Amino acid sequence: MVKYRVSIDIGGTFTDLVALSEESGEVLDIKIPSTPKEPARAVIRTFREFFKRTSDVEVSIVIHATTIATNVLLGQLNLELPKSALIATKGFRDIIEIGRQNRHQIYNLFIQKPQKLIPRIFRFEVEERIGPKGEILTPLNKNQVRSLMPKLERENIESVAVALLFSYINQVHEHEIEKILRKALPKIHVSLSSEIAPEYREYERTSTAVVNAVLMPTISGYLDDLQRDIRKLGVKAPLCIMQSDGGIATKNTVTKKPVGMIESGPAAGVIASAYYGKLLGIENILSFDMGGTTAKAGAIRDATPEVVSEYEVAGKVHSGRIIKGSGYPVRAQFMDLAECSAGGGTIVWVDSGNALQVGPISAGAEPGPACYGKGGEQPTVTDANVVLGRLNPEYLLGGDMKIHPDLSEKAISKEVCEKIPLELAEAAAGIIRITNSAMAKILRIVSVERGYDPRDFVLVCFGGAGPMHGCALAEELSLTKIVVPHNPGLFSAHGLLTADFKYNFVRAIMKLMDEIEVKEVETVFQEFAIKGAKLLKKQRVPKANMRFISQMDLRYLGQSYELTIPTSAPFTEDVLRQTVENFHKKHTATYGYAVRDEPVELVNVRLMTTGLVEKPKLKGEPLQRENPPKEAVISKRKVFFEQNAEYISTPIYIRKKLKAGNSIHGPAVIEQYDATTVVYPNWVAEIGRFGNIILSIKTGDH
Amino acid sequence: MSVDPITVEVIKGALIYTTEEMGIVLRNSAYSPNIKERMDFSCTIFDAKRRLAAQAEHIPVHLGSMQLAVQKGLERFKGKLENGDMILFNDPYISGTHLPDITLICPIFYEGETIAYSTNKAHHSDVGGKAPGSMAGDATEIYQEGIIIPPVKFIKKNVIHKEIASIVLSNIRTPEISLGDLRAQMAANLLGKRRILELIERYGTETLQKAIEKIMDYSEKRIQNEINRMPKGVFSAEDYLENTGTSNKKVKIKATITVKTDQLLIDYTGTDKQVDGPINAVLGVTLSGVYYVLRCLTDPSIPMNDGCYRPVKVHVPEGTVMNPTPPRPVAGGNVETSQRNVDVLLKAYAQILPEKVCAACQGTMNNVAVGGINQENGKPWTFYETIAGGFGGRKGIDGVDAVHSHMTNTMNTPIEAIETTYPIRFIKYELRKDSGGPGKYRGGVGLERSWMLLAPSATLSVLAERTKIPPWGLFGGKHGNRGEHYIIRPNKKQIKLRSKCTIKIEKDDVFLVRTPGGGGYGKPLERYPELVLQDVLDELVSLETAEKEYGAIIDSTTMEIDWKSTKQYRHKQKKLDT
Repeated sequence: MVKYRVSIDIGGTFTDLVALSEESGEVLDIKIPSTPKEPARAVIRTFREFFKRTSDVEVSIVIHATTIATNVLLGQLNLELPKSALIATKGFRDIIEIGRQNRHQIYNLFIQKPQKLIPRIFRFEVEERIGPKGEILTPLNKNQVRSLMPKLERENIESVAVALLFSYINQVHEHEIEKILRKALPKIHVSLSSEIAPEYREYERTSTAVVNAVLMPTISGYLDDLQRDIRKLGVKAPLCIMQSDGGIATKNTVTKKPVGMIESGPAAGVIASAYYGKLLGIENILSFDMGGTTAKAGAIRDATPEVVSEYEVAGKVHSGRIIKGSGYPVRAQFMDLAECSAGGGTIVWVDSGNALQVGPISAGAEPGPACYGKGGEQPTVTDANVVLGRLNPEYLLGGDMKIHPDLSEKAISKEVCEKIPLELAEAAAGIIRITNSAMAKILRIVSVERGYDPRDFVLVCFGGAGPMHGCALAEELSLTKIVVPHNPGLFSAHGLLTADFKYNFVRAIMKLMDEIEVKEVETVFQEFAIKGAKLLKKQRVPKANMRFISQMDLRYLGQSYELTIPTSAPFTEDVLRQTVENFHKKHTATYGYAVRDEPVELVNVRLMTTGLVEKPKLKGEPLQRENPPKEAVISKRKVFFEQNAEYISTPIYIRKKLKAGNSIHGPAVIEQYDATTVVYPNWVAEIGRFGNIILSIKTGDH
Repeated sequence: MSVDPITVEVIKGALIYTTEEMGIVLRNSAYSPNIKERMDFSCTIFDAKRRLAAQAEHIPVHLGSMQLAVQKGLERFKGKLENGDMILFNDPYISGTHLPDITLICPIFYEGETIAYSTNKAHHSDVGGKAPGSMAGDATEIYQEGIIIPPVKFIKKNVIHKEIASIVLSNIRTPEISLGDLRAQMAANLLGKRRILELIERYGTETLQKAIEKIMDYSEKRIQNEINRMPKGVFSAEDYLENTGTSNKKVKIKATITVKTDQLLIDYTGTDKQVDGPINAVLGVTLSGVYYVLRCLTDPSIPMNDGCYRPVKVHVPEGTVMNPTPPRPVAGGNVETSQRNVDVLLKAYAQILPEKVCAACQGTMNNVAVGGINQENGKPWTFYETIAGGFGGRKGIDGVDAVHSHMTNTMNTPIEAIETTYPIRFIKYELRKDSGGPGKYRGGVGLERSWMLLAPSATLSVLAERTKIPPWGLFGGKHGNRGEHYIIRPNKKQIKLRSKCTIKIEKDDVFLVRTPGGGGYGKPLERYPELVLQDVLDELVSLETAEKEYGAIIDSTTMEIDWKSTKQYRHKQKKLDT
């Protein structure tokens, strides 16, 4: 009986299953078209395929990433919003609708707020009021709460969010309401703001509780079905789900707090990069994931992915940044990602002022780029790469997909060259330059805008299209080193296998650091640690593999933004002083200055508990001779490089034939099943021990 | 030498990104909530000829004022600028907005030549004057509104001029905050400078300048294309401010738009003379309204630069409320008159592009400031906010409920933050029933917001509009509700406040504001009864209004539409109308 760890990543186009043998380290990849209307169906098919290809196996854990939560909120994929209700403090049921009162686009007279998740008729008010110190100003009118029950039942409400003013300091009224709800309507899902996001700012807390409530029925139904189905196939392993913060959690945890798994998919790529970094001994990484429709950038510093505490779910993106007010704010830990509409399928067009534009519309999988020959007539980024000779002009996916370069040429000639006086190659190179500058911007957002110098980072490029653009992006940001993993197209699914268990705790304590009782804080940290350890124990994480990181959200008195500063246990006066000192330092690093005589205010305390999971042991090959074997070069073709402004006869290597230690001087193209790596003329590629490619700029060239 | 179109496109993106990045530096390192949370600032790059090359999408009220500020503000420094200098000023008659907006200009040198300017303007929380926050509703001269700083070399060789800083900061109630904000402004300009120099290193001065020229031509061409799609002709509109702050006289604003080939002429002839109260809008504010509306009605993705200005000729007679002369007070011009200016322009454009405009939005920012002395430590406290209202109805969609419109877009402060810091307790924050102007597409509803004072006493100031003349509807749509402000005493006595006032309030007094709703678009009798019913169920429209304004008869027990009566009623009403 061979034990396998299995990960399943459901994307828009493909559902990937990656299985890793715990003994041999052997990896099995399965790719099957997704079934958007019933995502679980494709999962079952991948499992069947897996069992077909193996014998006498036991699955030890199933780790799953999915975008189902976002799809529910976007009203996509036939997933209707469940009927939910909100219970709020008297006088304040509209906080959720008024939001922060700003509009997310200034110059748009046709602006609309995001669709209401709970209509006004299902937003109920109850008499109660807690004051800013947690004092009860008006006791909860329980009879009024009880009188709501028949109505909730009659209307078939499936989930209820409870969000009262100042509940982050005093939870008593929310708990009383929960008790009444559970007694009267045992099947109803309950989402308390004081449990889901016990932080100040009533709109954001309410919104988090509401998003959670809306997700609960769908997510729990989906996970129940999925678990039942895989049980039927004989898989008894626990079902775990990737969280937006890059940790994994069990089905039971996620069912109660689905708000934590919203960005499940994209997080996996960053986790994979971090793992790869550890493997190769690289601590600072910019992760760059370019697929069919979007490109995503993330940052890893000191081997730790950067996370943020707020995110706007289903929000609109403008120049890589989520526009505040365009979606539903959620207070939870998210990987810090910037995104832009630049993928292989992104459409290229000429605007009414005769300027070349890339995106935001994508040709998707159907009809796809013109070169797929499926009826797409508009040129895409992929078509430009075909014209430039960077992509194989005959086929992709190892021959599974035929390519028609003449259709790429036709599309670019017609849609671009006829409108702007450019030669075909110039136009194609232009498309790539504009796309690269948009993608460089998202890399800048997660580095420069966060106060980091990108030159201290190594670029990890993955996704089907990422490795084609790596050199240009690195040059744009003055980076000198790039890593392309051994399986760029399946990298995210592999990342799932490397994720650790994570449970986060937060509590609002709003006090000046000068005035806090060290003991009070220490008690909270200990309480969190006990809870976390208990949860990890359930997952059979041994004590030696448990990690606890305590943090504080701090700011100068009067500021409205906090910085999260790590602190240490046990929390003593000395630690407090050191934490304040670290805050001043981080403030300087982030904002360029510190005000040491200004009082520092504590806003939240946080504890992140991690249960380290055993990582897959990738088999490293010994480094061999420098020159690649002759048979690794399958052909030569003309590839356009913009610094030479012409086509250059370029050797085409086949990845499988390259051996660890081989080095290849650019220009070169390295092809493999799921991706193509382009080595620019002034770069050198070296095959690493794990089948990865390390690209370095030639010394003397920079 | 010519620049290829791809390089132009890449430089265009880099310039816009530079202004955005300047904004992030400014926002992150600033102290005051105005800048940090409300993003009340603008960052720009100007070319060597002092023409706007790029501006980030920050706050609309600065859109038209930056070019004026750079051109007028640098007049006296011809040939006297050196590398490392920055020019500071806030004189509204030079900078083009009110005193709290402080402008900082940084010339960028390369090989001894000025090749560009990085520039920003930010709203400081106080610049002195008679009222905290420097927005006195009853000022009669600009001298009462705060310190006036003419263009001065505030920074020399990258170091702040101590004496000038000392004069400026001595006149400000919150000098530490302002100094922090000024440092942030300096940091933003330095970043802009660094990015421009990087571009030069990469592409060379000549390519950069030629590319900028092309980017401007591109914007100009695209604006001209949009103008040429408009019907030719002359279109006028007028609207009023309801009082001046110092008198109850209403003030007329009139605009006439002439659409020609490749060109728009906008003429404010017919606008009332300047007034004693603080509602005069300096020329920069007036121009900002012109460009804001044009941006909304054309494609907002057209990059903002000098090219956008070229096809638009604006005439504003000097000495009017839209182009006053010193020493008229102007603080309210930014916040209230600027909104009315947009209303007037949209009303005129409604005749040109009826499907692209909206009915009148709430038309005010509802500025409310309350403050007093903290009993515990004897220090003064002030809380200032602007409150959202209804957005006007649009072709095909209702107006947005409870949102900031047009020239402002500031966020509210969380109630949990306010109550933790200030001696006030909120009672209500909700949508205001029946306030949206009836229409086929209903105007957005306003808000009701009320709080109780917990301190022994405080001073309350209101600076608002649209409490007498309501936001208008379009094409048969009705007007939105007027705004209302009250003080409710502990004995339940209600005192109605004027829209611009400063009064003393006491413990347990309740302040209640109801903000205006947006105007409706199209005839209310044409609204689908199902949508009226939805509004009734959502308690945004009452049964009475549903019947009286929309002719939608809803059974009050079953809450269903009485289709027969509805048809009859609507038929009868239509006959009466014709």
